[in-house]
Amino acid sequence: MKALLVKPPKKFLIAWLLILPVLIVRGFTIIYPIIMTFINSFFDINMFKGGVAKFVGLKNYIDIFSDSKVISSLHFTITFTVVSMIFHVVLGILLALLLNMKFKGKKLLRTITLIPWAMPMIVTGLAAQWAFNDDYGFVNDLIRRIFPYFHFDWLTHPESARIAVILVDLWKDVPFFAILVLASLQFIPEEIYESAKIDGAGVIKSFFSITLPLIMRTILTLCIFFTMWRIVSYDIVYAMTTGGPGDSTSLLAYRIAIEAFTNLNIGYSSAIAVCLFIVMIIISSLSFLAIRKHD
Amino acid sequence: MHQSVKRKKIVAFIYRWGLTLMVAGIILVPLYWIFISSVTPKGSLFKTPINYFPRNMTVKNYVDLFENVGIAQMTFNTLFITFFSLLVSVILGGAAAYAFARFEVFKSVSWSFKLLLFSALIPPIVTARPLYDFMKSVHLVDTYFGLIILYSSSLLPFSVLILHNFVKQIPLSLEEAAQVDGAGFIRILFTIYFPLMRPAIATISIINFIQCLNEFFTPLFFSYKIKVLSVGITLIPRQSNFEVPWDLISSMGWLIILPIVIFVLIFEKNIMEGITAGGVKQ
Repeated sequence: MKALLVKPPKKFLIAWLLILPVLIVRGFTIIYPIIMTFINSFFDINMFKGGVAKFVGLKNYIDIFSDSKVISSLHFTITFTVVSMIFHVVLGILLALLLNMKFKGKKLLRTITLIPWAMPMIVTGLAAQWAFNDDYGFVNDLIRRIFPYFHFDWLTHPESARIAVILVDLWKDVPFFAILVLASLQFIPEEIYESAKIDGAGVIKSFFSITLPLIMRTILTLCIFFTMWRIVSYDIVYAMTTGGPGDSTSLLAYRIAIEAFTNLNIGYSSAIAVCLFIVMIIISSLSFLAIRKHD
Repeated sequence: MHQSVKRKKIVAFIYRWGLTLMVAGIILVPLYWIFISSVTPKGSLFKTPINYFPRNMTVKNYVDLFENVGIAQMTFNTLFITFFSLLVSVILGGAAAYAFARFEVFKSVSWSFKLLLFSALIPPIVTARPLYDFMKSVHLVDTYFGLIILYSSSLLPFSVLILHNFVKQIPLSLEEAAQVDGAGFIRILFTIYFPLMRPAIATISIINFIQCLNEFFTPLFFSYKIKVLSVGITLIPRQSNFEVPWDLISSMGWLIILPIVIFVLIFEKNIMEGITAGGVKQ
């Protein structure tokens, strides 16, 4: 830095001149709104009742605990995130190992794997809505090739609708997870496996004693981000189930949007949003602590 | 001995290709189903079992999209907003990335960088309502300008991060030589750094392009009259909640997917580089 010939005060000015536009854009679109969400969460603001803000303290937060809709959203959000993440890790690692093999079709397979990630979730979700249709859907059609009399309407039963949402989430994002795991697999030098082979370690043993410890850090880091993305998922249920049947698949983000933009219950929706945000901060900081400990 | 090695090779071959075909099938067969649905005449579309090799194909659904759904305008809106958002994010992001990388001695600068990255973790749903009220109060809801600002904003943290890492690898000596020649910082930025950053700019623009096409939340809440493709596909009229106008949705879906698939085929290498640089390394 010393080598720069510009004088320090001027350098400081230049630095701020260059970063200011970015900070202004982010400030108005993210920082200011999140502060407002925080403030609004202590007020009763309902547009249907004229939209006059009335300070109510913690009432919105207390109401959350007795709101069966929010609790059911919370319930599904947790199930969705946990189940989806377990399969992300297992299937993602398996797919990454396949992608890392040396054979002719490798490059083609990698390209194919990128496609679900690059597709808009909204298109995937709308197609999935029809794919899970009882009579004309693609899923039941495949099943009927084996069991000709199979009939089941996936999206009209709460449990199967939830399963369907998770399956679509896996179809869309496991490949992406795999590609990110693949990146860390490629850093493992070939020689380590060679020497393990000489020592008589089989494929499975060398995976658990060599590969897994070496990619563990990456997997933990990925899990943080993928978990965050699951917790705030919105598009998938908007497109596939619109939260139904009933409220059985309305993820928290979907519930917040309904309260904020349909029910126009702004104070209350802010309180749920703040809770969501706090949960995210807690989970991510705990995970980062876990990673630090792992190191 | 020789035979067992040969057998092992055959088993490995079948195993690899079997798995490859399975994965490729799981990903591609649904896409193929969307495609054949889009070219199946409406009369035979709502029939079971599905005919995977339809004989009389039709482009009627696609014609419908242009004539009745207004897909041309939506495509224009999407590309227009995307183009300017990429431009804004590269110029503002590039300038900021340079400053973040070169002036981190200043505490306020390095803290701003951390704040910027932290802000990327804030989910849009948490900020949506106040942001909507703010955008409304400054008359930016349902304007191209407003959408471009919001799109750019969501692209900025990732773009700045990648460009910042790239700038750090550029030797300072280049800049010093230019300073000796009396070049100001704006000239240094535009004549030295931006040209050098080209590969990184290409990578982030490719990823940001996909990001913009996939953007749904922002256009859904912040525009009504200006329709983009991702929102447009949800607006195809329905008879009821359970009926899906699959003829039009499949064709519009395929029109959205096809360019993305081609794009991925062309830029596979850059995309891999970009997502792994942003995703894994910290």
